[in-house]
Amino acid sequence: MKKQKHLIKMVCLILLVVSLGGCWDKKEIERNAYVVAIGLDKGKEASLKITYLISNPEYGSIQQGGSTNEPPVEIISFETDDLVSPLYKANAVIAKEISYNLMKNIIVSEKLAMEKEFIRWMYDTTKEKDIRRDTYLIFTKEDASKFILENQPKLETRANKYFEFIIRRGIATANIPDSTLHRYLRITEADADLFLGIYATTEHEDTDQSNKGDEIFAGQLDTTGKTNKTQFLGSTVFKEGMMIGKLTAEDTRISLLLSVAEKSPPMLISFPDPNKKEYRIAAKITQLKSPKVDLKMNNGISKVDVFLPIHMDILTDHAMENYAKDTQKREELKKYIENRFEKKMMKFVTRTQEEFKADPFGWSLIARKKFASLPEYKRFGWMQAYPQMDVNISVNITFGDFGRQSRLPKLEKVRD
Amino acid sequence: MEDSKGKIGIKEFIAIIILTIGTKLTDDTTVILYKQMENAAWMSPFVICAFSILPIFLLIKVMNIYENKNLADVINQLFGRFFGFFTVMILWFLLFSALTIDSAVYTDIISTMYFEKTPVIMIYGLLMLVSAFGAKKGIEHIGSVAWSVIFWIKLSLLAALILTFMQGEILFLFPIFGNGAWEVVKESSLRTSLNAEFLYLGLIFPYLKNKKDYKKGTWIALAIITTELSFSLAAFIMLFDHKGIQLMDFPFHETIRYIEIGFLENIETFFFPFWLIASFIRFAFYLYLTAILFGSLFSIRNFEHLLPIIATLVVFLGIIPENPTFTIFKLRESLLFITTPIFIILPFLLWAAAKLKGEFKNEKAKASD
Amino acid sequence: MLGDLLKKAFSSNKKSNPFHEKSNKEEIQIKEQKIHSDLEYSMTIFKEIYSFPDNKDVKFRTFQIGGLKKQACLISISTITDIKLLDEYAIQPLLRNDNPSFSIENVLAVQALSTVEYNKDAIYEINKGNAVLFIEGYTKAYSITAANFQGRDVSNADNEIVLKGPKEAFTEKAASNISLIRKRIRDENLIVESAVISKRTKNELFIVYIKDLANKQLLDNIKKRVSSLNVDSVQNLALLEQHIEERKLSLFPSILYTERPDRASAFIEDGYIVLLMDNSPDSLVLPATFWSFFHISEDHYLRYIYGNFTRGLRMIAIFITLFSSSIYVGITNYHTEMIPPDLLLAISATREKVPFPAIIEVILMEFAFGLIREGGLRVPTPIGPTIGIVGALILGQAAVQANIVSPIVVIVVALAGVCSFLVSDISMNFAIRIIRFFFILSAGFFGFYGMTAVFTAGLFYIVSIKSFGVPYLSPMTPKYTSSKDTVFRRLLKNEIFRPGYVKPKDMKKT
Repeated sequence: MKKQKHLIKMVCLILLVVSLGGCWDKKEIERNAYVVAIGLDKGKEASLKITYLISNPEYGSIQQGGSTNEPPVEIISFETDDLVSPLYKANAVIAKEISYNLMKNIIVSEKLAMEKEFIRWMYDTTKEKDIRRDTYLIFTKEDASKFILENQPKLETRANKYFEFIIRRGIATANIPDSTLHRYLRITEADADLFLGIYATTEHEDTDQSNKGDEIFAGQLDTTGKTNKTQFLGSTVFKEGMMIGKLTAEDTRISLLLSVAEKSPPMLISFPDPNKKEYRIAAKITQLKSPKVDLKMNNGISKVDVFLPIHMDILTDHAMENYAKDTQKREELKKYIENRFEKKMMKFVTRTQEEFKADPFGWSLIARKKFASLPEYKRFGWMQAYPQMDVNISVNITFGDFGRQSRLPKLEKVRD
Repeated sequence: MEDSKGKIGIKEFIAIIILTIGTKLTDDTTVILYKQMENAAWMSPFVICAFSILPIFLLIKVMNIYENKNLADVINQLFGRFFGFFTVMILWFLLFSALTIDSAVYTDIISTMYFEKTPVIMIYGLLMLVSAFGAKKGIEHIGSVAWSVIFWIKLSLLAALILTFMQGEILFLFPIFGNGAWEVVKESSLRTSLNAEFLYLGLIFPYLKNKKDYKKGTWIALAIITTELSFSLAAFIMLFDHKGIQLMDFPFHETIRYIEIGFLENIETFFFPFWLIASFIRFAFYLYLTAILFGSLFSIRNFEHLLPIIATLVVFLGIIPENPTFTIFKLRESLLFITTPIFIILPFLLWAAAKLKGEFKNEKAKASD
Repeated sequence: MLGDLLKKAFSSNKKSNPFHEKSNKEEIQIKEQKIHSDLEYSMTIFKEIYSFPDNKDVKFRTFQIGGLKKQACLISISTITDIKLLDEYAIQPLLRNDNPSFSIENVLAVQALSTVEYNKDAIYEINKGNAVLFIEGYTKAYSITAANFQGRDVSNADNEIVLKGPKEAFTEKAASNISLIRKRIRDENLIVESAVISKRTKNELFIVYIKDLANKQLLDNIKKRVSSLNVDSVQNLALLEQHIEERKLSLFPSILYTERPDRASAFIEDGYIVLLMDNSPDSLVLPATFWSFFHISEDHYLRYIYGNFTRGLRMIAIFITLFSSSIYVGITNYHTEMIPPDLLLAISATREKVPFPAIIEVILMEFAFGLIREGGLRVPTPIGPTIGIVGALILGQAAVQANIVSPIVVIVVALAGVCSFLVSDISMNFAIRIIRFFFILSAGFFGFYGMTAVFTAGLFYIVSIKSFGVPYLSPMTPKYTSSKDTVFRRLLKNEIFRPGYVKPKDMKKT
């Protein structure tokens, strides 16, 4: 009996405590407005203009009790000074509590990214519990608010899906670099290399791209038809947390190929046929191993030797040269490509040395290996040393297959 | 045939040690190591291990003389009543501070990383309530619970580490000696008290089923803990690099927030319960030890009844510091420095006292009989 | 208030009987007497005791024994005795006998015969269904074993169904239950002890064990606990279980209740002790650990891989039952970030029009599911399936359409409900279903933190409970020598040890 009484007392006590407990961090799932992306612009009055892209959960749902005629997203922009306080300010307009749970993209306008102050707002993100380090950073040519408004995906019903797919796909095809908040913070903190961000725009730019191949930025790819205006192509360059330039799609790819910190995805490229310049050869290149980078330090001037093994599959042969059949032609082709690659890469490396005065390849990590302790490494000062370095790149190409059907008929015989 | 009367076997013993000391890699202990050693912090567990081998060895030697005495009794026996009381008092004070500070850190982790708006006292209260409940069940049951969950806890940790290694970059570990090889040795040695719990394990010596298990279990656990801690420290660096990690408050929790498995992007909540269970068991054990020490200080037989009081005291002391993340971090660091000499010297003193008093000879005489 | 207390304090000193009971001292005195040699007198006593002739099925057959020329009377209760047997092998031989010098024992052609000397023993025998023969001038009576209680035949097991393995189940007859066990264990060391455990009804309990296996201490402990019962009647084992268990308020059962003789025999062979009783189509196995509730006999009948596959499924099912609803509550209220984005939006969309908070929604559905389940259990068989369909499908569907609950909650709760059936032991099943509510509540108040706290506290509790001195989670922890048959079983050739925690006298099975 006594035991029972004790038990009842305990249960009552626990219930009391528990009922006092409820509801501090409790948030009903449907009472949140899920922000999919935030846009950051330079403000006119306040220092920052923030844009929320809020997903409508009911849109596109075919479940019972879930479907609706409401629009897929809600977009709101206003001025503020930091990233955290607008969470409550937005509730003047938005009926639900703003939640960053689905926030996977931070869209920043070029203009803001070029500011010295930009890094301050980026560190705001490390304070907020729900902003994660794997959030993608996207830099736009126009204002982020305009970008968000203009971006109208045609087939992806939900905004979060659109961003997820287009960025993942962009990274997989090496059109854009893998640019997350984590990398931004890490590279900025290490203070040795350049950070590459995703470059995107909705503004179309009329350029003559006939001979440019992949040397284009987002907005320069001519498209017609009935589709989204947005393009994700190329990258932005950050030094010490501040944007200092842009890279074309091709340069982005080169920097990925030369990067030691990550493996680059297989890429599809095209280049003029060495024998008949009017035709282009399409090829798929796969990086088998990350490049072998060797750093040699001789008092004052350091030398970097890069050895890049590439596996190449030739996909088209418009010149009908039949490379698959002819060993000699293949050797020639190989030489030609290696040369072309080395030249392009050297050109790009020289540009980084002269224009950016730092490298986007993560080569500083190789330099770290050369030192036994951090103070020594710091004394060496990678970033200062890089522009004077003597860089030497050698590319080694191995051919894979030459398409599903490797041999072609003799064109003359077909046409007689 | 086989009987268990409040005693634990070697499995439970190892499980308890691993959970109490191994869980340290999830709190801000790692930051304390990163602060001075930067990216060479992963070496420090080995240095610390090397420094703690001798004290632990001596302690085991001394403890093995006595069959059914715990550390406090041994100290009283060897140092005499006055100095014994004094030493046990210091030990108790250190343990109690460690308990208070550590539990405050864990509360802080829960409240900053997972439950931002919940009042700290509720989180703290629940943490201590469950731990005190566990401690009240006694060492046998703490051991049983530890053993029955350790596999899953370590599996989750292993999964987290593998994912981290996969997403990490090995080059971040260079320059290999961080701030210099000498620095690593020096700074690690100052933090040897990371393993100070091994000293307190002498308190549960009488509760072991087989006295040989004490020796065997301690060494096995030391080896496991050292590797585990070292691997985790390396994994965190490989993910965040040495600069980023110094800015963080709780690297383990930042890590599980960052890693992802396939379509599941935010998996920290999968690891959270496992970590919590480990913490509950850890503090249950701490509370139990504190109660034993307090009991033997003032010769209180039924020390289990002290547990609710100690737990309540811990909660109210633990919530005092304002801005816990930093205040407690400072306190914790100083506590580590203070404990280190005691951890290293005390076993030596015990051994010397035993030698002088000729206790080892008695032991041998007994053995030859 | 104070006055009341004082009154209580004083009144507790005096022993007063609040009930108006009639004393039956006289009757007890008669029962204690030895059997009187005067047949007439004895019969008057017995007729009074049995309220003859009001009591219709008590028969007093008076006749003269041929040869001996003595009056005799055979008392029996006709509804529980085999009348034909009595007639052919007891009455007829006695009547037809004309040899003047013979012993009663040699004439009665019945299987078992015993003598009784006290009235109360005679009464006990009669109540057991035997016939008692009183003879003029004898101070003892002969009890003729002729009990014939009505009952079911051995039939299929209803609750612990297996696809592979024996299908027999215990019935309400203890004798046939013992026979089912003896059929499996043909060992002279198999002991069937009996003990009378209730005062008025004199219910008989059979303690079955193997002499050279069962631990003596354990056996004494059980015997002591059984004999110290102070109750008028214990009708069956289900009631006995509640009388002898240690923690009566605990959520977890500490005695295994099985209706399968094969299972009971397997436990006996491992050194456990089994209790049997009349009127109980089942047996009690003790001591019991968590694992004995978790296992079913088919685990061992199925081949190694298949058996372990079902074990794995069952373990997962327990986790789903325990945690699915609470995880839903925890996730939707506290940890929204862990759901994949599409699912998050889907849940959010469906919850948009639901008027209740998630926790109320879940409890509502759990409650409805519980009702359907209990209701379906009591419904007469012909309309049973209909109720199931109406309940589960229509109700769930309608509730979703009416925006009372969201479809995901229906999935979550139904899944948990279905999974709970994988635990076939009814006590453990209840325990798990009740614990689920603790988790739901804790998840509602503290998210995963609360759930983990409850789980850890529960784990501390579960390792600390003991069934007849055996830790609940043994042999997992604390460790004992055993065949390690816990979550998964091992190959039969490796299961060579009896469980160490029951402390059998012989550890090795080979």
